[in-house]
Amino acid sequence: MPDIVKPLSHVPYGKKFGLDTSSCGRCIGQPVIFDFRAIATMAASITMPKRPFLTLPFLLPSLTESLSIGAVRHQSSYRRTKQRLRVKPDASFGPSQQGRDQIIYNPPSSAPSVYHTPSKFLPANDVRRVMRPAAAATATADVNELPSVYKTQPERKYHLTPEDVEEIRKLRLNDPMTWSRYSLAKKFECSPLFIAKVCGASPEKKAIQKQVLEAVQSRWGPKRRMAREDRKLRREAWGRDE
Amino acid sequence: MKRLQLQRWSSTALSPRVRTNNRLHQQLYSTGLRLQSTVSPLQSESAISENVEDASFQNPDAMRHIRRAHKRKTQLQYPSPPVEAATQSAKLAALHARLYLPSRLPLQTLARTLVDASADSNVDFNNESLATLGHDLLANYTSEHLICTYPRLPLSVTFAAMYAYVGPKTLAAISKEWGIDNATVPGGEVDPGFLQFQRVAPGTAVEDISQLKSARPYADQKNWRMTVSSKIFYDDEFGDAIKGSVALGQGVTDETARATFVRAVLGAIYLHAGRPAAKRFFEQHILSRHLNISELFNFSQPARDLARLCARENFEAPVAKIVSETGRKSRSPVFVVGIFSGQDKLGEGSGSSLMEARERAALSALKGWYLYTPINPRVPSSMEEEGAAPWKPAHIDLGELLPTEDG
Repeated sequence: MPDIVKPLSHVPYGKKFGLDTSSCGRCIGQPVIFDFRAIATMAASITMPKRPFLTLPFLLPSLTESLSIGAVRHQSSYRRTKQRLRVKPDASFGPSQQGRDQIIYNPPSSAPSVYHTPSKFLPANDVRRVMRPAAAATATADVNELPSVYKTQPERKYHLTPEDVEEIRKLRLNDPMTWSRYSLAKKFECSPLFIAKVCGASPEKKAIQKQVLEAVQSRWGPKRRMAREDRKLRREAWGRDE
Repeated sequence: MKRLQLQRWSSTALSPRVRTNNRLHQQLYSTGLRLQSTVSPLQSESAISENVEDASFQNPDAMRHIRRAHKRKTQLQYPSPPVEAATQSAKLAALHARLYLPSRLPLQTLARTLVDASADSNVDFNNESLATLGHDLLANYTSEHLICTYPRLPLSVTFAAMYAYVGPKTLAAISKEWGIDNATVPGGEVDPGFLQFQRVAPGTAVEDISQLKSARPYADQKNWRMTVSSKIFYDDEFGDAIKGSVALGQGVTDETARATFVRAVLGAIYLHAGRPAAKRFFEQHILSRHLNISELFNFSQPARDLARLCARENFEAPVAKIVSETGRKSRSPVFVVGIFSGQDKLGEGSGSSLMEARERAALSALKGWYLYTPINPRVPSSMEEEGAAPWKPAHIDLGELLPTEDG
């Protein structure tokens, strides 16, 4: 099982949620201990547990004790708790660093400050641009390995010609009820956003759409209305970073 | 706090016969009733004069009474306290000491800063000229501080920060923290340590008091769009329309009078003690107030703005990646999303949905751009100091992203 000592200068604050399945330790300590006790008592009474221990490696205190765990029956829960909490000290406190003067900087896990300008945003003549890369290079993992927010990347084709754009405008202006944004997007194999960028809806269509929306909203009960309003407020709060 | 040397107040501005070394002492032991009150008790005049006629002239008590009655009579002629009353006021001396004002600033000028133009329309005795100077100094010092410290700040945020530092609300709050009390009604017999101004009649709409004096063409067209950059040219330092002066006899609000007073104090310090003292006073009382500029931002489309910023600066297009997550299938998941441009992380944000985390990450990246601070920023006015280092040009940015029409 890998240890949880991380590089110092960068502690991503997602780690405080104990998100790494590989890490054993401090954050998910309490619930794990509870499960372990329950399953250990079960193992004492029943000879054949439903799930063997080795498939649940996070239940085991450490690699060395993993083999003898089934044999030890009356292990004190206090000691197990202590063992769980015995986290290896950070590398900066290690003996290898003791010889020379150093600054120990172990920041608590927190969101990065907005006053700390990213290196890429520094102007070309700023001194910090040259000072930083050495520290930053060790901290960042390969970005390409991180999962994307979107399930599929949008495929960009750039296939529409000015004539197509003219066609889109003509269709949307002449028959807005048939040629909505989505039907146009389907026909021209582009995104609805592109249609909106290319041409706006006519005022009549906007008025009709407003009436449709009002008709839909008039059927909403108080709960749904309030939930929608709350959602809108939450969304606005994102922009203020609240 | 250093003890003030009271003798030095008299040396520059006062007439030689006025000796202030024991004035404070006198004030403490022989306080006149009038100076303590904030209202002029006009009714009691006749009662006092009757008493005076009965008394013998040999009686020192009666003589003092007569002198005081005469003094009161002359004081009542004036709309604001006479100049010589300043040295008698314990309140003024206490205010001078409390603000740790330079000793070169005499009490008489401090008394003048407390007289608003609505109380005394004579420009030789009210604080209007001092406030004009102080207002310009405040606007200059604050704007140069903001622009040199945060060279990339958007204009609307700069306006908001200016308002937060030296807006009328802040200045009124400062004057309250200084312990300034209002005189109920201004007058010549009131203690000069009170802020004197004529109040607006209750029920008056505040907008009606000061007529608009904007140089903007078509200023009366309320529905027309005003660009933010046009506000630099036409409007005041907060991006609001310039207000005209208040009509005579209309009175001012408490907030306006207090703001004018604080501006006048800075103007008075500048005139009497010079530029370094004014700058120091500004730093100690205005810049020392904490303002978190990152809270003044409000973005509607941060991800789109960031993409446009990266395109403008020739960076790789920003990509949102999940840094870590927990409880995706649970009721309260937390996602941490980072925004990367190439291999460089621009920002990081967390939220209970991927979209929220992404928006917040884009927001933090944009704030990281806008809140860039050069190392040891210097302001132009620092060159006026003696022995200042050679001037290095301040960082000037390309400018903020302009909003597009196409949405």
